Amino acid sequence: MKTLYVEGDTFLHRLSPRVKLVSLALASLLLFLIDSPAFLVIALLLGGGIHASLRLGWRLSFSRLWPILLTIAAVTVFTFLLNSPGQALVVLLRLTALALFAAAVTATTSTGDFIDEVTVAARPLERIGLVKAADIGLSIGLVIRFLPEILTRYQAIRDAHHARGLKLRPLTLAVPLIILTLRNADEIAAAIDARGIRTQK
Amino acid sequence: MSTRDLVLAALFAAIIVALGLVPPIMLGFIPVPVTAQLLGVMLAGVILGAKRGGFAVLLVLLLVAIGLPVLSGGRGGPATFALPTAGYLVGWFFAAFVTGYLSERFVDRSQSGIVQIAGFFLAALAGVVVDHALGVIYLAWGTGTGLMTAFIGDLAFIPGDVLKALIAAFAGRAVMVGYPLLPQRT
Repeated sequence: MKTLYVEGDTFLHRLSPRVKLVSLALASLLLFLIDSPAFLVIALLLGGGIHASLRLGWRLSFSRLWPILLTIAAVTVFTFLLNSPGQALVVLLRLTALALFAAAVTATTSTGDFIDEVTVAARPLERIGLVKAADIGLSIGLVIRFLPEILTRYQAIRDAHHARGLKLRPLTLAVPLIILTLRNADEIAAAIDARGIRTQK
Repeated sequence: MSTRDLVLAALFAAIIVALGLVPPIMLGFIPVPVTAQLLGVMLAGVILGAKRGGFAVLLVLLLVAIGLPVLSGGRGGPATFALPTAGYLVGWFFAAFVTGYLSERFVDRSQSGIVQIAGFFLAALAGVVVDHALGVIYLAWGTGTGLMTAFIGDLAFIPGDVLKALIAAFAGRAVMVGYPLLPQRT
């Protein structure tokens, strides 16, 4: 799977992931507490500035941001029609600024760094006995590892449909896909236990 | 949680992600494209039960939060949780949990096929209700429109999601016959 991380060596790349995540959380809190358009415009310019400092280029920035911009556009139109143009403007500025901040964090923090931070954040949960913090990283690794295999399996099932002249239906696709995939669980679990991955500390 | 449970949840999370990447499938009898991630969430509950199904969905949400483009249309990243539509996303977890709990409670292997399908359908339907309730409440709060307007906008998505609950019920029954995993709760 292609992550949204972009290799680079800018100031934001070197900044500690924890600082970035905590700042992002604080920024989103501020953005939602303050309704003044002037403040939001400043935030938007700041977000744009931070994003520009990554030197991704217009084309790449746009292709990364458009899925979320599309949702923001829909929400803005919705607010414009149901509430007032003023509120629509606030929603547009706020969400776009936040999307820029978040995209900058996402572009400069690798998946491995994120997993480390999540593991640290889960330590208190481990102490009260809810989860083992290391399991979270392991699970994320498993998802990323097995996603390509599931997509290959999906293509094989689709080809099997075509070969028999059958139309694709949700049921005849999903059921074999799920059974074939979950059948692997025993082998994978045995492999993990045989390597002692979950008992290491 | 045993290693097997962990692996099952991770594999199902990968299936939910995969369902967002494959092109929408047209249903033969109604021209509604099934973008299938909510279907995946219901399937997680119906097939794995409350605990493992809920964990699978939580993993998907975690992947979204750390910036992987795992939602349909390549969406992802922490900003997704700041949108007024985030209630539907967070609602997935509760939907999977409720669907899983009800499935464990009311469906078991000794029942006849039609009873199992009916049980799974009602469980998945409860999941849809939970997801939409959270979605509507957060949408109304996030955009400042009233609950009523948000609810009316939401109605357009109900028929498609009820259909997905039906598909989840049939698929859940088929998987239960072929490879039973659902824990029993009495």
